Amino acid sequence: MANNPMQQFNVYKIGPEINIGGVDLSFTNASLFMVISAISIALFLYLGTKEKKIVPDKLQLLSEMLYGFVAKMISDTAGSKAKPYFPFIFSLFMFVLLCNMIGMLPYSFTVTSHIIVTLILALFIFIAVTVIGFIKHGFKYLSIFVPSGVPAILLPLITVIEIISYLSRPVSLSVRLFANMMAGHTMLKVFGGFVISLGILGGWLPLSFSVALTGLEILVAFLQAYVFAILTCIYLNDALNLHH
Amino acid sequence: MTKSEDFKTRLKIAKSKNQKKYLSEGEKRGSFMGNAFKLGTELVAAVGVGTIIGFILDSWFGTKPWLIIIFFFLGAAAGMLNVFRTANRMQKED
Repeated sequence: MANNPMQQFNVYKIGPEINIGGVDLSFTNASLFMVISAISIALFLYLGTKEKKIVPDKLQLLSEMLYGFVAKMISDTAGSKAKPYFPFIFSLFMFVLLCNMIGMLPYSFTVTSHIIVTLILALFIFIAVTVIGFIKHGFKYLSIFVPSGVPAILLPLITVIEIISYLSRPVSLSVRLFANMMAGHTMLKVFGGFVISLGILGGWLPLSFSVALTGLEILVAFLQAYVFAILTCIYLNDALNLHH
Repeated sequence: MTKSEDFKTRLKIAKSKNQKKYLSEGEKRGSFMGNAFKLGTELVAAVGVGTIIGFILDSWFGTKPWLIIIFFFLGAAAGMLNVFRTANRMQKED
């Protein structure tokens, strides 16, 4: 069972098969862990903000710190105009963070190690940012594809390059999160397998590597959630403040 | 009032302590790795998107393999533009 390091990424159905209009909507272990993350976020924030003490307890402190962290990130990267989008970015950050962190628990499933999940998140951000840009600026939003101060001969070439660069945003956003999570978890499993196969004599070295990698993976889990959220802020900034 | 003032001084001390160890060595290295990874995916994603666009346009116009070649290089240029912008942003942050 533990021999295949990719087995942890298997998606399987839990409970009855649900089929609506030819689309398989069965409840899988991926959906289960998404539900777990969403519920734990809601529970954590509810418990953290239930009693508003002057001297906060640990839960309240943690939720206030997370709020302050995201609020500062938004105002630093996207300015005061982005304040209305705080709920969106906060829930996005919390969801990715909790999915990554819950994936670090033994016997759990890492939802963000599947490209379909991260791609849908990234595409949603991409479409939302594009729509916000068009609502705020109308057709003037297309001017982000036309940088100022470019000679007329080069303009078509630069515009095509800018469009490709713009379209590559959701891809790089989703691939980064997915690749980081999948590579890290595969590596953990591979080193774990070494511990078993080398036995009590040689297994100590990979075991120590495994411990170090677990620490690194927790760091990566946080960092990737942060990068995901901050890039959303940067894209939002481009849409809100046209400065080309 | 003494209680809240006492709390304020304690908060001040704790904050100043916290500021010193703001970024430890390991955290710095972790964020460097994150930055490096960011640049890598930035480059690869644009090349991939460019190539896919070229492939789609090729099968629309039936001009295989010219557009896929052109768009591969345009994608590489877009990737470099992405990397350039990300690096600029990183320098501004520091």
